[in-house]
Amino acid sequence: MYGRKACQLVKETATGEKGQIKPFNDDMFNQVIQECCSHHLELQSLFRNMQEEGLDIQTTRNADFYGALIHHLSLTRNKRCLMAYMYNRAEVIRSLRWKLGRVLPEEISKKLSSSEKEYLKGYSASLDAYMNDINLDLTVDMVPPKDPYIQVRVLDDIGEVVLTDCSANLARYSMHFLKRTDAEPYISQGLMEELVS
Amino acid sequence: MGSYYDIDDILSEEEPVTVIFRKPANGVGIDPSAEKNCVEQGSKVELPLWIAHELCQRDAVSVNVPACFDEKTRLEIQADPANVDLRSRSPYFYELGCKMAPITGDRTLCYFLFFAFRSRYKEVLTKAHTAAHVATPKVLSRLTNEEIDLYEAAQSSVAAFKKWRVGGSRFQPSSALGRKRRSTD
Repeated sequence: MYGRKACQLVKETATGEKGQIKPFNDDMFNQVIQECCSHHLELQSLFRNMQEEGLDIQTTRNADFYGALIHHLSLTRNKRCLMAYMYNRAEVIRSLRWKLGRVLPEEISKKLSSSEKEYLKGYSASLDAYMNDINLDLTVDMVPPKDPYIQVRVLDDIGEVVLTDCSANLARYSMHFLKRTDAEPYISQGLMEELVS
Repeated sequence: MGSYYDIDDILSEEEPVTVIFRKPANGVGIDPSAEKNCVEQGSKVELPLWIAHELCQRDAVSVNVPACFDEKTRLEIQADPANVDLRSRSPYFYELGCKMAPITGDRTLCYFLFFAFRSRYKEVLTKAHTAAHVATPKVLSRLTNEEIDLYEAAQSSVAAFKKWRVGGSRFQPSSALGRKRRSTD
């Protein structure tokens, strides 16, 4: 049936967990585009038939017209599905930028297509430019903090780091009492975890 | 009407409906029983809603009311609305119905949908408020997508309410505020 593949593509985004991204389905995406091309060819050949019979495409309502109409509807349907697929992925990518920062972890970034990587880069750049303009980092404290300081455990060797109010040796498995704003980038990269009492 | 990019709206339009072609159409492979690549006048074909809807508006087909809104379902809903398995009929039961009503010209469909939703709404909320988390899968398997959203919203509001009642974690005063202020004069 026409448009079935495009629908499967959309279904794929619907079945995934919210806020997570699946690998870009290149294969299916191209198959849908190919389907669009064949619809286009059929559409043109039906129009050609009508012109050869000397009929006016605008007003005639014969079998060729309804065939062409079905192909046209399938084209717009496929387009809508592809657009929705890209749009909803772009939405997730934007939210990932807020949650995970400028650089995505390897296992997530390999799920993106090359144009999506380009998009993330562009989005990141304009967000950075805006934050530079107003001189405020908007990505920290997405949830209002209860206390400016938090207890953290370091998960990986980070080494000697200069923080805003002190310098600390962030050795593996050591525990620290840090300013939340200092710890947050490390936590989002997975190098630290917050100790919840 | 959902937005252009709305996934649920797109998927609800993929639901199959049976149509009867009033006009023939050439060069399309949508009728599996046809020998050639065309559809004869009067042939009965199962099409996804998105094609059927547009063709119906152009008077090329007439649309039958899908099986999920048949007499049997209506009787079941009237007898015991909460225990009818609407999900197996269509996960987009209400959306499909709302889109079918204007093109089939079936006036009773709207009232039926309204009745079904209203009577199930109360049950869904009651179950969401009282059910333990273990019991959820069995209930959810009967609900349509829209009802599942409702169910989850109800559960999260109950959880938020409980947290609020027992005090939960409130804002703590910053440690700097707790210190005794030194007189500066």
